Amino acid sequence: MLRLLRGRLVDLGVVLAGVSVLAFAFIRLIPGDAVAIMLGANAEVTPERIAAMRTRLGLDLPIHEQYVTWLSGVLRGDFGVSIWTGKPVIDEIAAHIWPTLQLTVLALAAAVVLAVPLGILMARLRGRRGEAIVQAGSVVGLTVPPFWLGILMILALATFAPSLQLLGYVPFSEDPLGNVSRLLLPAVALSLPITANLARLLRSTLLEAMQQDYIRTARAKGVPARAVLYRHALRNALIPFVTSVGIMAGYLLSGAIVIEQVFAIPGLGRLLLGAIAERNYPLLQATILLVTTAFVLVNFLVDLLYALIDPRIS
Amino acid sequence: MSRFRKFVLAQGVAASALLGAFSVQAAPLELAVASSPSGLDPHIVTAFSSFQVIDGTVYEGLTALDENLAIVPGLAAAWEISEDKKTYTFSLREGVTFHSGGVMTSKDVAASLQRVMDEKTGSPLASRLAAVESVETPDPSTVVIRLKAPSAPLLSSLTSIAIVPAKYLGDTESLQRQPDGTGAFRFVDWQPNVAIRLTAHEGYWQTGLPKLEGVTYNIVPEAATRQVGLTSGQYQMLPNIDAVTALQVKAQPGIKLAETLELAYSLVGLNVTRAPLDNPKVREAINYAINRSDLVQAALFGAGVPGGPLSPALEQFATPTSDFACFTPSVDKAKALMEEAGVDTPVELKLLVLPRDDTKALAQVIQQQLAAIGIAVTLDIPEIGKFVQDWRNSDFDMFVSLNSGTIEPDDYFYRTFRSGGSTNVFKYANAELDALLDQGREETDPAGRREIYGKVQGMLACDGPAVFLTYGQLYTAMRDGVDGFTIYPNRSLGALKSVTLGK
Amino acid sequence: MSGGEIAVPPRGGRIRAGLLRRRSGLFVVALALIVLQAFLAVAAPLVAPYDPLFQDILHRMSGPSAAHWFGTDQFGRDVLSRVIYGLRASLAISFAAVFTALVFGGILGLLAAFYRGWIERIIMRGMDVLFAFPVMLLAIGVIAVLGPGGFPTAAAIAVVYTPIFARLLRGPALIIAESDYVMSAKSIGASDIRIIFIHILPNLASVILVQLSLLLSSAILVEASLSFLGLGTQPPTPSLGMMLSEGRNFLFLAPWAALFSGLAILVVAFALNLFGDALRDDLDPRLRKAS
Repeated sequence: MLRLLRGRLVDLGVVLAGVSVLAFAFIRLIPGDAVAIMLGANAEVTPERIAAMRTRLGLDLPIHEQYVTWLSGVLRGDFGVSIWTGKPVIDEIAAHIWPTLQLTVLALAAAVVLAVPLGILMARLRGRRGEAIVQAGSVVGLTVPPFWLGILMILALATFAPSLQLLGYVPFSEDPLGNVSRLLLPAVALSLPITANLARLLRSTLLEAMQQDYIRTARAKGVPARAVLYRHALRNALIPFVTSVGIMAGYLLSGAIVIEQVFAIPGLGRLLLGAIAERNYPLLQATILLVTTAFVLVNFLVDLLYALIDPRIS
Repeated sequence: MSRFRKFVLAQGVAASALLGAFSVQAAPLELAVASSPSGLDPHIVTAFSSFQVIDGTVYEGLTALDENLAIVPGLAAAWEISEDKKTYTFSLREGVTFHSGGVMTSKDVAASLQRVMDEKTGSPLASRLAAVESVETPDPSTVVIRLKAPSAPLLSSLTSIAIVPAKYLGDTESLQRQPDGTGAFRFVDWQPNVAIRLTAHEGYWQTGLPKLEGVTYNIVPEAATRQVGLTSGQYQMLPNIDAVTALQVKAQPGIKLAETLELAYSLVGLNVTRAPLDNPKVREAINYAINRSDLVQAALFGAGVPGGPLSPALEQFATPTSDFACFTPSVDKAKALMEEAGVDTPVELKLLVLPRDDTKALAQVIQQQLAAIGIAVTLDIPEIGKFVQDWRNSDFDMFVSLNSGTIEPDDYFYRTFRSGGSTNVFKYANAELDALLDQGREETDPAGRREIYGKVQGMLACDGPAVFLTYGQLYTAMRDGVDGFTIYPNRSLGALKSVTLGK
Repeated sequence: MSGGEIAVPPRGGRIRAGLLRRRSGLFVVALALIVLQAFLAVAAPLVAPYDPLFQDILHRMSGPSAAHWFGTDQFGRDVLSRVIYGLRASLAISFAAVFTALVFGGILGLLAAFYRGWIERIIMRGMDVLFAFPVMLLAIGVIAVLGPGGFPTAAAIAVVYTPIFARLLRGPALIIAESDYVMSAKSIGASDIRIIFIHILPNLASVILVQLSLLLSSAILVEASLSFLGLGTQPPTPSLGMMLSEGRNFLFLAPWAALFSGLAILVVAFALNLFGDALRDDLDPRLRKAS
């Protein structure tokens, strides 16, 4: 186990180093003079101002020096300051990470709550008449574009309940109830594909578990089918279920970037698209690096968890 | 507040003070705007997203504009112009205080002008003060501006130069995040991508104003979300919206609209160094090929007018578009001109498109219209940063964009169309036009100016480097109960100070 | 989470038999939908009732009617024709992206499996780095470099999916590469290329087919997301995501543009996913036993 852990940790280090190089490279690969773009549409963008901005951002150094300077700052917890607001990048990210986290957690919670009964239902329908419809329904859930669903929700809201205040964003600190109620629609839109995914996973693991010897034994001993399903099969099926919940994090983040745009939620997606548009080097680098690192760590932990639970994986 | 009553000067102010007596219950007004400002320093940022937050609300200039774009006293109560038109003496209003505390004096005014002219500030407004030779402060309430040469646009330029405390001279960072002006509203905080909050400035020099407790600019980038927010009462005002949004909220109960013809206009810019656009006949052909009424219908949803080089809102200067022959679309004439020019059609040209919904819409209609005369247009829609760069470097055949427009013809024409002008990205050079523009700058007689700019418009309209397209109708949507708002063609929300919020 | 769990059928021929044996109604529906969409996309100029770019300003934003089944948009363009052409663009981008990913990912995965050692380590760690990024984050990063447009979108999706194919194919390829008959091919002096193409690849056909259809389904969604954010296909060329994005600006005036383009995205992704799903069920012996 320790050896496994050490190997995984080395892999993790390599991946994170690679991620940092890519995060650093992206914005530098963008064609055009990013600094001129950064300074905006003003007519008075002089070569002197461009040079001054370059020096301020350290962009006049050789590229490898820039990388080393940046990385050593990052390792000390210094991600630089945002070009426009002058605030530390880390503060900007902290301000935008909450809506995204809230949205993600809400969506995940909704998905888990819905997926368990749905998955059981789908497993029990195996071989019965409604199966095809439920199966097709689950694929629809899997492939419905969340942003389209969001637009439909807005349209429905405007048509049927124009006086309900369910859109926009209110900080939690100002109005906790208003904050959560305004995140409901986007969370539901975002959760549908994962609900479908988890339900389908639960169904297949349940069905698989039902074939295991110990379940057959239990049934042979006269334990009623329903009891077998709930007491034994479900418990075992939950292991892959729980681990795949972790894997959903990446999907959720991707979905959240788009959903935030539809529902005007000031989360990481907005931060990211804004940073690209204004060529905000420090902000973009740090956002990509931090988000991806978080994502890598979640996957790493899930991996470890999986290895702990299932000794066959090595 | 009555402390300042005795300082009330202008009669308009007295009238609003009278209204103030009937002031309705004060509460913060919730606005929803589409985009987050990139900064709030009034001498550095020029984007609408910043302008509508700070102009007239947080910041004021020596002079101001009324809703008809006429120049009225601002922080200067009065001014005198010397015989030779080269010396302007401003008497400052008394009892004007900054949000950070402290009374505004002539030192602050001089420092503010200095700050704009200082190269280190890199202010895009600097060119508006190019004629200024020196600024003197004989006493705390008098400012004397001496000019190198007479400059007709000075008073209008001063409307856009915010007065800030003298301590910010040499500091280009602080005001970007923490505005500090003399306006009716004081900056409270800015939660990036969420909201900017302003609150009433208790020491505001106009007695009885503002009537609102404060203003919150909610940043809501999605149009549908803004609209539903207005109908649900979450927001009370959607300022400066376009026709599409206006059409969609108009039908809702409890919503009213204010509207005006906008100062901003759309145009197609032509790179006159690239064939075949270097040929005036081809440029004229393009003007004939474009059907501006269709553009108004498709891109502005019918809410707007075809426009020439100057906004029809500038009644004293603008030549009616009916005077320009090429504004009556004619595909035949356009084809004939193309033939005269000896252009082998189809000719392929690239159209650089400002990435906005309305300009994308314009581009698609223009593409179809130009196809009719054998110009095959490909659209290049980059993201904004790339657009600005290509635009600035004149790296385009044609571009379509939206220009904010100004109330002063010189300010716009000179830098845009004079050879070597700072925003003459078309690389246009016309000695005759240059001479007229130089003349217009120093001419201070209104009739003389009208004549000069009439000629300028005639020269630019049909075969100039820009194809002037449309001026849109600008709207502000409000819930019933929001009263006292006046919409400004330049998108200033300064009128918020007289807004009341009923139940 | 890795390719190791994918079952490897002994020979490629079985898959066709599986398709025929499969009687599921859903599978037939999926297949029919895919054939229909493929036909619409390929024959778009023939089947679309109007030119998708033709503007008719007088009849803009009119609702569904006999003349315009899906209504018209802001410029009076026919939404049905645009959906058909949008389908064509979206499918083309997704196909190009997924096949590019298959080629590159396949080459890398097979190289890793066949040569092992440091080649494998470099390749697979590189793939790990790409795989570490959340899909949209990586795609947005690639588009930030290449600029918005149809080609950059395809490239971005290809980059995102390359590690998936590399990982997917390395596992089974490893097993096959060490199987007796590949060993014996090696021993009789068959060249590396010959072994990869004749002996290893055909054995992976079924795994590839399943993954192709599933990834095509998600590629459609990623393309739509990117176009929706304004990073994908640019006007006037219609793509489904871009139509949805354009349509939401006048959602309350003419909802049909947004409705039908979104519905089209759903139907395409649905059919491809269902197809892949049915194939996988068919190929996975464990699930078959359960049924």
